[in-house]
Amino acid sequence: MQYIRPNLGRIKRIDEEELYRLKKLSDILTGVIVFFIAILIARLWFLQIHNGDKYARLAENNRVRVLDIVAPRGNILDRYGKLIVATRPSFNVVWTKEDSPDQDLILKRMSKILGEDATVLLQRIRSAVDNPRHIPVRLKEDIDWKTLAYLENNHFELPGISVVAAPTRDYLFGDLASHLLGYLGEVNQEELKEKRWENYQSGEQLGKTGIEKYYEESLRGEKGTEYLEVNAYGFEQRRLQGLEPLSGNDLSLTIDRDLQEAAEQAMSGRAGAVVVMEVNTGRLLVLASCPPLPLEKFIGGISAKNWKDLNESLLYPLMNKPIVGQYPPGSTYKIVTALAGLQENVINPNTVFYCSGSLAFGNRVYGCWKKGGHGAISLHRAIAESCDVYFYQVGQKVGVDRLAKYANEFGLGMKTGIELDYEKAGLIPTSEWKRRVKKEEWQKGETLNIAIGQGFDQVTPLQLCRLTATLANGGVRYRPQLIEKINDPDGKLLAAFSPVEEGRIAGKTYYLELIRQGMVAAVNDAHGTGKAASLRGVGITVAGKTGTAQVVKLAQSKNMPVAAIPYKYRDHAWFTCFAPAEKPEIAVTVLIEHGGHGGSAAAPVAKAVLEVYFKINVEAVQQAGPDVSNPAAEQAVGD
Amino acid sequence: MFRFDRRLLHNFDWCMLGIVLVIAALGLVNLYSSSYIGNGAGSTVFYKQLYFFITGFIIIFAIISVDYSYLLKLNYPLYTLVIFLLLLSLFSGGRVAGAQRWINLGFFNLQPSEPAKLMLVITLASYYFRKDSGNGFSFKEMLAPIGLFLLPFILIYKQPDLGTALMLGAIFVSMTLFINLRRSTIIILSLLCIIVAAVGWKYMLKPYQRQRVETFFNQESDPQKSGYQIRQSKIAVGSGLMLGKGYLKGTQGHLHFLPERHTDFAFSVWAEEWGFAGSLFFLVCYFFMILWGVNIGISSRDKFGMLLAFGIVCLIFWQATINLLMVMGFLPVVGIPLPLFSYGGSSLLTTMAGLGILINIKMRRFQGNK
Repeated sequence: MQYIRPNLGRIKRIDEEELYRLKKLSDILTGVIVFFIAILIARLWFLQIHNGDKYARLAENNRVRVLDIVAPRGNILDRYGKLIVATRPSFNVVWTKEDSPDQDLILKRMSKILGEDATVLLQRIRSAVDNPRHIPVRLKEDIDWKTLAYLENNHFELPGISVVAAPTRDYLFGDLASHLLGYLGEVNQEELKEKRWENYQSGEQLGKTGIEKYYEESLRGEKGTEYLEVNAYGFEQRRLQGLEPLSGNDLSLTIDRDLQEAAEQAMSGRAGAVVVMEVNTGRLLVLASCPPLPLEKFIGGISAKNWKDLNESLLYPLMNKPIVGQYPPGSTYKIVTALAGLQENVINPNTVFYCSGSLAFGNRVYGCWKKGGHGAISLHRAIAESCDVYFYQVGQKVGVDRLAKYANEFGLGMKTGIELDYEKAGLIPTSEWKRRVKKEEWQKGETLNIAIGQGFDQVTPLQLCRLTATLANGGVRYRPQLIEKINDPDGKLLAAFSPVEEGRIAGKTYYLELIRQGMVAAVNDAHGTGKAASLRGVGITVAGKTGTAQVVKLAQSKNMPVAAIPYKYRDHAWFTCFAPAEKPEIAVTVLIEHGGHGGSAAAPVAKAVLEVYFKINVEAVQQAGPDVSNPAAEQAVGD
Repeated sequence: MFRFDRRLLHNFDWCMLGIVLVIAALGLVNLYSSSYIGNGAGSTVFYKQLYFFITGFIIIFAIISVDYSYLLKLNYPLYTLVIFLLLLSLFSGGRVAGAQRWINLGFFNLQPSEPAKLMLVITLASYYFRKDSGNGFSFKEMLAPIGLFLLPFILIYKQPDLGTALMLGAIFVSMTLFINLRRSTIIILSLLCIIVAAVGWKYMLKPYQRQRVETFFNQESDPQKSGYQIRQSKIAVGSGLMLGKGYLKGTQGHLHFLPERHTDFAFSVWAEEWGFAGSLFFLVCYFFMILWGVNIGISSRDKFGMLLAFGIVCLIFWQATINLLMVMGFLPVVGIPLPLFSYGGSSLLTTMAGLGILINIKMRRFQGNK
């Protein structure tokens, strides 16, 4: 049986013309196909060979996320190697945008879980808006165990959310030395523009204030890296080896932790500053600003409410008062006036002025703090009893510009060069200064105010402490020193710092001795203004000077009891001293804002600090009297 | 009637069968990798595709055992069947990504838009063959094929599956270019095409479809959504470099960065793991098959065979080219698979049926000359 093709009879043969046309068309089709083959191969070559490296890199980045591992910050220790600030592990909640791009959902769920306001979280996300999508945004730091457990248990319902362990600051002594140490915070957009922080990425922590900021580079360490291979769902496939982070260096301060603690305790509830300096080196033992900053609240960013409270407090807790606070030095400035008078031969130790309780000068009457007057008075008693009239006379004879010269020799009116930011220079006026700034001629009467540390005079507690140290050590001005040494994490010494001498008081050191004697009398004589700081009972001679800095000149508040005056109008209380007077070791300066009188408010604080320094057991003293087994005390008694 | 003609065996196209076997094998090898889940065994997807291939070869042998000219008789019943299936999928079909494309046959989810492509080729070839008067087609004569094309086009567009619908358009235009049209017909059809394209862009595209096209031209604007797939595919292909990352070692695929990696983006996985060398080898094989198909068309001495062969070649060629251009970032994402290579039973069986017809035409090229 022959196989028959159905229905094909009509075109058993295609006629030649038709065949030719179809052949031509098939050639065109072949051409089109070859054309596309060429395009495809060219494209393939372009992607895989010409640009292959670029895509290989992209593929690598795709599957491998480079994550930074925060390095543990270096510890901060005191001069005896006792820890003040350490580092502990904490758990942070992060969100990886790439893994769950629905921002609103994340905000809604996480604000509930973390107990944070959604606006706070949004703020966080906004601040990291420039980060690549695969870099996690930190939502909350240092979560508690309960939150941690919840997040871990619900891991699969919260894509993109993960908990990462990171070192955080451990403030072993709470708020101790808070201003000095400073707090940490996330680098902000403005800081990122600065040259110093150019290597930082948003989200990273850095020191915002204090030592943490000043020594950021030393403390920070080097961050490590971790390579995390993930799939497109963001789930971790495996971790690849990376770079271990390097801990930051340990910083040893010159601060004495116990003394700092004592100073802050003595100041508790009050606003002000305590500075303690080794007179022969310039090393700072205490640099306290009160009230302290709540450092713990700054971890992970302080809340708006807490910040507002700090900002609006009348006690100005945000201000680092020993170096930023500028106050009229009050009667403590009489040290400068006295030295100027002696050096300029305006007075000698025997020069006597008569204090009737006031001095008429020009068309004004300048009062002494003691209404009844001191009577005939010479330098020694004038310092001890802080006679204003005596120093009006001296100041008026020396003149404003020569006074300023001696103030500058003591380091007033200029920055001390301490290793902290935002230090203020204070102000020591001259006639030239007034012409330049106030566009007015200097009035002779103003010199009288200057001479007793009122008016334009402005000093910081640190400056005044250094002045006292300079006076105590015989005229050598040291740069205040905060850092003793820097060690790497293995304990290797990287840097050690020695005292830096910045200048000496010219002229006779005998004059300084005269002033020191006056200050001994101020603390130890029956009529001295600084009796409250006396340690005579335990055989230590303290030499000091009180000061009361006027805040406002209110006639009606004069001679009112301090408690009756509104807080912000009360005078600032100063006390600056050194001890032991015979062989000075430390200088202590106390400022209490709106504390009233220096003798009654500030001197007891200085005494409390001295007691700890000389290791005097307060209770034992009260029970056993002066007979205390204390080498320093024995030595002092022996003198 | 079915007496075995020894000449059939003599003329059997071993070359075509061989190249199909090679490409199918490459597809399976690639599918094993792209669906690999790390346990050392092939995935269900892999075994399913293997069974489809075996079925496909059975279909090829079934098709070549019957003279292709029977298609002239079968074309309208087939056409009706496919339209029925399209309607069925539209009204009762399963949804995939918001589109109704499937009919559940129990053992296999049929995607009727795939056989619709081949059916259109057969229908058009039959119509053009039958109605050819030798004086060229008038516009009036063209209305019927336009209607035959538009009916499945609209049904597939409604699913919505724009890619496949446009593929029908490409087949229709390609095949119509092969017939002898009157000059007036050419002018009218060209004008019609321009109007339809313009109106279509404005009214027929859904917003997401328009967005796909727009993001294609501005890929960086939204790297996570529409542009994401193309971007990841380009990374996969590009990172293959000269020799590839090695079999089963492609990161883009295995780490789930590539979307649709065993269907539309199968070639990305191949290019990533085998590099430029492997991709070139694949393209050479693939286009050898296509050009061999053209050769079959030319060598056929009857016009129906020729039209049918060219139609099937165009069907495979356009799908492959569009898919590859998309995978390499030259075209927006359109759901067009790479015939023979992408996973998917409907597409695979349709393609193999088409190739079976090609082999059939080659086998019987001398029969009309007797």
